[in-house]
Amino acid sequence: MDHENKDLDLASLVDKVVREHGATPDSVIPILSEINRTLGYIPAGTLPEIRRRIQIPQEGVFLADSHVYSAASFYQMFSLKPLGRHVIRFCESAPCHVEGGRQVIEALQKELGLQPGETSQDQKWSLLTTSCLGVCSVGPVFLVDDDIFGNVTPERVPEILARYE
Amino acid sequence: MISLTINGQTLEVPENTTILNAARQAGIVIPTLCHHKDLTPYGGCRLCSVDIQGMRLPATACTMLVSPGMVVQTESPALTQYRRTILELLLVRFYDAGYTHDGSAQLELDTQFAHWVRYYDIDMKSAMAKEPFRQIDSDPNPFIWVDKNKCIMCTRCVRACAEVQGRFVWTQAYRGYDLRIVAGLDTTMLQARCESCGACVAHCPTGALDNKMSLKLGMPDRTVSTICPYCGVGCQLDLNVKDDVPGGRVLSVSSSEKAPVNGDHLCVKGRYGYEFIHSENRLKQPRVRKYLLDGVARPKDRGPWVDVDWDTALNIVAKGLNSARSQYGPDSIGLLTSGKVFNEENYLMGKFARQVLGTNNIDCSVHLNHRSVVDGLNDSLGLPAMSNSMQDIAGNARTILVIGSNITENHPVFGSKIRQAVLRRKAQLIVASPIFFNIEEYAALSLRYKPGTETALLNGLMRIILEKGWEDKKFIQKRTQGFEEFRSLVDKYPLDKVSQLTGVPAEKLNAAAEIIAGNHPMAVIWGSDLATQVAGVDNASDLANLQLLMGNLGVSGGGVAPLRTQNNSQGACDMGGLPSVYPGYQLVADKQAHKKFETAWGTDLPVNAGLSALEMMKAVNQGSLKALFILGENLWSDENSAYIRRSLDQCEFVVLCEALSSEACHHADVCLPGVSFAENTGTYTNTERRVQFVRQAIQPQGDSKPEWQIISDLARRILVQNDKRTAGAMYSGWVYKDTREIMSEIAALTPIYAGVSHERLERGDVLLWPVRSFADSGSPILYESDFPLGKARFMPVG
Repeated sequence: MDHENKDLDLASLVDKVVREHGATPDSVIPILSEINRTLGYIPAGTLPEIRRRIQIPQEGVFLADSHVYSAASFYQMFSLKPLGRHVIRFCESAPCHVEGGRQVIEALQKELGLQPGETSQDQKWSLLTTSCLGVCSVGPVFLVDDDIFGNVTPERVPEILARYE
Repeated sequence: MISLTINGQTLEVPENTTILNAARQAGIVIPTLCHHKDLTPYGGCRLCSVDIQGMRLPATACTMLVSPGMVVQTESPALTQYRRTILELLLVRFYDAGYTHDGSAQLELDTQFAHWVRYYDIDMKSAMAKEPFRQIDSDPNPFIWVDKNKCIMCTRCVRACAEVQGRFVWTQAYRGYDLRIVAGLDTTMLQARCESCGACVAHCPTGALDNKMSLKLGMPDRTVSTICPYCGVGCQLDLNVKDDVPGGRVLSVSSSEKAPVNGDHLCVKGRYGYEFIHSENRLKQPRVRKYLLDGVARPKDRGPWVDVDWDTALNIVAKGLNSARSQYGPDSIGLLTSGKVFNEENYLMGKFARQVLGTNNIDCSVHLNHRSVVDGLNDSLGLPAMSNSMQDIAGNARTILVIGSNITENHPVFGSKIRQAVLRRKAQLIVASPIFFNIEEYAALSLRYKPGTETALLNGLMRIILEKGWEDKKFIQKRTQGFEEFRSLVDKYPLDKVSQLTGVPAEKLNAAAEIIAGNHPMAVIWGSDLATQVAGVDNASDLANLQLLMGNLGVSGGGVAPLRTQNNSQGACDMGGLPSVYPGYQLVADKQAHKKFETAWGTDLPVNAGLSALEMMKAVNQGSLKALFILGENLWSDENSAYIRRSLDQCEFVVLCEALSSEACHHADVCLPGVSFAENTGTYTNTERRVQFVRQAIQPQGDSKPEWQIISDLARRILVQNDKRTAGAMYSGWVYKDTREIMSEIAALTPIYAGVSHERLERGDVLLWPVRSFADSGSPILYESDFPLGKARFMPVG
């Protein structure tokens, strides 16, 4: 019963989001983005729902599950599985690396007891890596949810994490 | 034209030509991996990079278009190094496990990728990854082997699935080191709606996708180009043959980019359905029921089988047919010929029935299907066949109406072409069917009508068209007759009544009429779902009416397209495998035609109307038909099988000539082992009237024999037993060296095949009948200048 309700909710969420952004192939990324923002991740069940709503055979437009999956799996800001309440995205691109990024990610791993890609058992933290966040001048850099932290040192890590409930 | 220089050679090529294609035209080889001539250029692997004067960096020849005065260099030490580096980088994420059937030796990869690796002098073994980084054999698809360790992300599979099959199973997913091809939502291929056509395998340059059934069987010794034995599309395919057993065996099937109908495309049946050739179920020895050898009365269950030699079997058949003939008259014998065997063999069956046995009781067993097309279209248009080629419809029709056809399953390669017509050039597809068929996913409009209401649906649509004045008045006036009578009948189908009868909402009917009128020309495609109905003839007539009304005949992109079920359904009918016609639809009832064949075959021919397949079954039940000769047909695939079974049980003498043991064997007195398409040379005629050449690849299995040899041997025996002389006439004899000689006889007696010969087919001539002389190049579109009847005829239906 629960399961059915959930499917129903996903369908109506997709309905709403597709209505807002328009039922065209160009809108797939904004649609995915909004679903990711709303739920914190993109449940697999939403992908066929999106596909189903973007078909215009008269115009030769045909979207398949594979197209939607390709976009959803490509962007690092999207997640295909549920994440913790707070998501850390650590930049692993070269400029942050040469500024001592490795020590920072090691500190994060140690502090959280997580490997990159993992979520803590209490669902509080997810630790992810990402490519360049565009603020190389203050590397090493990571994001916690929407907050960006620059010039991070291993010593600052516990203090930053303590700011989040 | 654009003039440019490649490697110092000045070339003239049309605008919008890529550097790669310009070079190829000049015979200059540029290495490629991600490029395939049938797919959208991608420019991903960069192996085709060439130097262009004035450009700082090498550019990809597969995507760069030529421009006037361009100076291109395709080879230099720097380019060689550049390409070698590309290959080495690809090899970093490449691992070949070297599968063999016993795992003992490493097989050298015979792929496009391995070729270029060798060409650039790289040792694959030392340059590739040290161990597999993904699961080998990672997909449970029964036909397609997936080993992503060998994938170089050229995306040819992704493009092939989209641009050939129109199914979008494969995609690239994830990023960076994780980047890989995945099926659908990263599921199995079948879960991602794969149809197992194997297009991705055919287009893969590395062996990451391969044919599971033949993967470990090694390399073939030779390849024979022939025609698929399944549906009426008639795809060309290559049989890969290994000569490690006497006569050879078929290892696998491949597609060939040179194939005229299908290019590098096949469906799951053609590409993977070849195991029947070497099946345990093949009949390999003639056999007869024991009572026939003992010369006693037939037991009720026909008694046990005894394997015999050909001489014994054929003498028994000759005697059995002869005794029915002398005791009960020639019309006590019935013959069923087949859409599975050659034109040459179907011709012989007709000649055997009429000249040797003296009866017109001959039919193809998938009779209902054929009759509707033959009778329906003959009366309206004058020729019982598809009017336009498949290529013409897929390439030029602006509207395509598919009615009563599960086209993507029954004629898959044509179905895929229809998908591409929608995807690539926005053809408007209307799918009308009582149930869902997957081609509907591509439809601009689907009409779900109640079963059996086709007439109301079509008449209703035509009435809307007439009310709006959308009909082609000029065409109707100049090229048709019977319009007024037709119009008054169609008037009886007002919109609300039609909507009520068919269950299709009025607005959908209006929308369909609007699409048809606004997107000229339209092609109409129908399949066996429509043709085999009791009203099959009416349906064919009414679809012809629709096309006459809209002026959609004799034009490119228009036409009527009844899809034939079997590989040679069209040919079986063309060759006179029907009770009412001689080869080429020359009517038995026509005095001149009758005389012509009496003269040619050197004997009096029967004038009695022959029985259709179902009428034969009825005659057996009533006791008037005593003997049946059945060629290459499993009657159980037909309608009303219980009735057929009962009939066969009652029939006094049943001879079956078949390649595979089927249920019909239980009801037969004699089984004569025929051959598969791989063991015989001859011709099939596909659904678009294209006569195609089938080449023998291996020797007949066991003691089986080509059907044309069996029929002619039998004919000779019966003529001798009857002491019947037919000598003197030009085509009375039954001695044929090969099917080539039979085709010469067909050409001489059949005006629409007059220009068909094995020589022309072997030469690669494209022959869509009518081919009226050896200088005639055939007719991809019928009725361009006139109809055989002068004017086409509206046939009011309803």
